[in-house]
Amino acid sequence: MEVTRRDLLKGAAALGAAGALSQALPGSAQAQTTQKKELVVAQGGDISKFDPHYSTSSNDIRWSFNIFDNLTSRHPDGKLYPGLATEWKLQDQTQWIFKLRQGVKFHNGDPFTSADAKYSLERTYDPNVKTMVATVFTTIDRIEAPDPTTLVIHTKKPDPLLPARLAFYGGQIVPKKYVEASGNDTFNAKPVGTGPVRFVSWVKDDKLTVEANPDYFGGRPDFDRLIVRAIPETAPRVAALLKGEIDIITQLPPDQGERVAANSTTRVAGALYAGLYVLGVNSKRPPLDNPLVKQALSLAIDRELIVKELWKGRGIVPSGPIAKGDNHFDPKLPPLAYNPKEARERLKKAGYKGEEIFIETTVAYVSQDKAMSEAIAAMWKDVGVNVKVEVIEYSVRAQKNREKSFKGLWWADPTSTLGDPDGMMWRLLGPGGIMDYWRDPKFDELGNAARFSVDEKFRGEAYREMTRVFLENFPWMIVIQPYEDYGLQKYVEFTPNPNQQFEIRRFNFKFRRA
Amino acid sequence: MRGLLPFLSQRLLRALIALWLVSTVVFVVMRLSGDPVPLLLPPDAPTSEIMRVRKDLGLDRPLPVQYAVFLKNIVRGDFGRSLHFREPAFSVVRGYLGATLELGLTAFFFAALVAVPVGLLSAMKRNTLLDQAAMGVALIGQSAPTFFLGILFILLLSLKADLFPTSGRGDWKNLVLPAMTLGAFAMASIARLTRSAVLEVLRADYIRTARAKGLGEAMVVAKHTLRNAAIPIVTITALQFGTLLGGAVVTETVFSWPGIGRLAVQSIYNRDYPVVQCTVFIAAVMFIVINFAVDLLYGVLDPRARTG
Repeated sequence: MEVTRRDLLKGAAALGAAGALSQALPGSAQAQTTQKKELVVAQGGDISKFDPHYSTSSNDIRWSFNIFDNLTSRHPDGKLYPGLATEWKLQDQTQWIFKLRQGVKFHNGDPFTSADAKYSLERTYDPNVKTMVATVFTTIDRIEAPDPTTLVIHTKKPDPLLPARLAFYGGQIVPKKYVEASGNDTFNAKPVGTGPVRFVSWVKDDKLTVEANPDYFGGRPDFDRLIVRAIPETAPRVAALLKGEIDIITQLPPDQGERVAANSTTRVAGALYAGLYVLGVNSKRPPLDNPLVKQALSLAIDRELIVKELWKGRGIVPSGPIAKGDNHFDPKLPPLAYNPKEARERLKKAGYKGEEIFIETTVAYVSQDKAMSEAIAAMWKDVGVNVKVEVIEYSVRAQKNREKSFKGLWWADPTSTLGDPDGMMWRLLGPGGIMDYWRDPKFDELGNAARFSVDEKFRGEAYREMTRVFLENFPWMIVIQPYEDYGLQKYVEFTPNPNQQFEIRRFNFKFRRA
Repeated sequence: MRGLLPFLSQRLLRALIALWLVSTVVFVVMRLSGDPVPLLLPPDAPTSEIMRVRKDLGLDRPLPVQYAVFLKNIVRGDFGRSLHFREPAFSVVRGYLGATLELGLTAFFFAALVAVPVGLLSAMKRNTLLDQAAMGVALIGQSAPTFFLGILFILLLSLKADLFPTSGRGDWKNLVLPAMTLGAFAMASIARLTRSAVLEVLRADYIRTARAKGLGEAMVVAKHTLRNAAIPIVTITALQFGTLLGGAVVTETVFSWPGIGRLAVQSIYNRDYPVVQCTVFIAAVMFIVINFAVDLLYGVLDPRARTG
C-alpha cells in the first residue's frame, strides 16, 4: 500500500491526540506564586566542560554564559547591549575601542581589568592552549590594553561584526591570574568568572550546583541557588515539570507543549529560533545540480501543513535564507510558495527522468527531522519525484559533513551566532564553508564585499540581491523557522533567548512572589 | 582431587586472556566507528585545526603503534584521558561506578528476595490461582520493554500517585522506581526458573522417600527441595546480576541515573575511545569476578562440583 502524505499526517495527528489523552494532571493547589529560593532547571543533555574556551556544545554554553560574562551581551530582543564593556566605537575602519566596566570582581575576588580581556581573547587562538574556539576571532590582528579600563582591538580588515562576535562563544572573559596560576585542568574543574552565578559543585550526569553572585554588576539574581539537572528523555523531563520537581525545562518538543500548556500549574515560553531548519543540498550531484529541479522540490513542499501538523503551529514558514530577527531580514518578502502543479511543470521543463533523490535524515539531530523527512518525501512523491529516505547516525552525519559526501539532502539548523547573514548563509554557503556545494559568481562577489564593509546600507542591498540569487538556485531546501520552547512553572517569569543562549539575568528572570 | 592453587591460577590465566581479548575488540571496534575529532570541534573548523587536534590526541599515529601504547598503558592501569571530559578516563568511570552499583545491587536484591519465594510458592501451589497470577505477572515483567515499564511507573507511581520522585539520584525514594524497572526482568526470570527447578525436584524419588518417612512438609522444602534446586537458581541469579550491573542503559536513561551504562552509550556517540575502553574493561572485570564467585559457590552447594 502506498502511504500518502495525508495518511501520514493524519497518523501523526492521531498520535498527538493519544499523547494528550494519556496525560496525568496533578490535581494539587494552583501555585501561581512561590517563596522558592532555589531554581531548578533540567536540560536534555549533561554538561561536559566548564572552561568556556573548550566547548561549543549548547548543554555547556548555557551555563558558561552564566558563570562568565562577555564584553558585549545579546539580549532576548536580539540586540547587542553592554556586558563587561560599557561602550565601544570604531575608529579608522579597523580599530575598535572598548571602554570596560569599572569595579567588577571575579568570583575569587580578583578585580577585572583590560589585561583579563586581552588574555581571554588571545587565549582562544593561542596554539599552545588548544581551545575549541580557535576560529572565532580570526579577524583580529592584535589587541592592546593601554590602561585597565580600555581595550583596543585591531582587525586585519574592516570587521563590522566584531562586537557581535564578542557576544557569543569564545568571547567569555576568564581571569588571567587564576587561570595562569591554577592551570587549565583546575580552571575547568573549578571555573571562576564574573557572571551572576558562582560555581559550587558538579556531579557528572547528575547535577550542577551554582549560587547567586551577590555582587553581580547587573544585580543579584532572584534565587540563592541554581540546580541544573540532565534528564535526557523527553517524557521523564516533562513529567518532572508537571509534578513540580523542576522549575524550567529546556528542549520542549511541540507534541509535548500541549500537555504542558494544558496543565494548570505550568506554561510554555518560546523564542523564535535565530536560524532556520533546512535540508542541505549537494548541488554537485545530478539531478540536484539543476536549479529547475530544486525550484520544483521547493514548490512541492507544503510548509504550512508541516508547521500545523508536525509542529502544532510552533514555527513559521520562512521567506528566504535570512532568518526573521536577523540583520537585513526583508519583511516584504512573501513566505516560500507551495504549488504542486507548478512543481510538476518545472520538473518536466528540467527534463527530470525519475533519477533517485536521497534524503539522509538523522533522528532528533534537529527536532522532528525524521517526521519532516517522511512528510517531505511523501509530498515529493506526489509530484512524481523518485525520493528515498535513509536514516543516518549523528556521528556519521558529522563525518559526511566534514568529507562533503552527502548523497543528496540532509538536515541542518543553520544559525548566525552574530544575528547577521554573514554569520549564517555566507559563513556556511560561502567558498570553503561547510555547506559549500554550489557556486555563483555574483553571490560570491556580493558575499565577500558585504563581509568587509562597515556600510550597513551597502550590506543590506548586497544581501537582498544574494537572496534573489539564492531563491533561483536553492543551495538549501529551507523548511521552517521553529520556536525553541521551554516548559515553566507558572510562578517563573522567564524570557528565553533566540540563539540557545540561556542567560539568567535580572532583565529576563524572576520568581513571581506572593 | 585437584588442589586449590592450580585451580585458582588456571582461572586467573583465563581471566587475563578474556580481559586482553575484550580490550582488543573494543580498541578495534572503536577505531572502526570513525574519527572523534570532528565531533569535538565546531563544524566549520578548518582542516589544519582538525589535523592539529588529531596530532594532540595521538590519533595521527599508525594503528599498531596506538595499540601498543594502549596495551602498555592498560597494564599500568592508565586508560588515557577522556576526549570529552578532558580528565583521566578512569576517574570519569569511577565517578559513575557508585551509582551503577547502588542501582544494580538494589535491583538485584529486590529481584532475588521477591522472586525466589514467589517461584517456590508457585511450585508448591501449582495450578492454583496464586500460581497463575504470579506467573502471569512474571510473564509481563519478562516481556514488557524496560523503556515502557519505566515511563509507566513514572506516570502512575510518581505523577499520579505522588509516591516517588520522577527521576534523578538522591535518597532511597529516588531508588525505588529505577530499581523496580531494572529488576523487573531479572525478577521474572528468576521466579519462573525457580518454579520449574523446584517442580523438577519435587518429582524426584528422594522427595517421595522423605515424605514417606514422615518428614514435615516444611522440612522437605527447606532441606531437600531448595538445596537440590539451588544450582540452576544460583546460575541464573548470577547471570542476571552481571546483566544488572552492566546492562542498565535504558533504565539509567529513563530515570537520568548517572551510571556507567549511560556513560558508555554517550561515550560511544562522542567517540570517546578512552572512556568506552575503560568502561568495558571494568564491566568485564565485574563479570569475571561474579563468575568466579559463582564457581566457588557451586563447590559449597554441590560436593560433586568440588572434584571437577
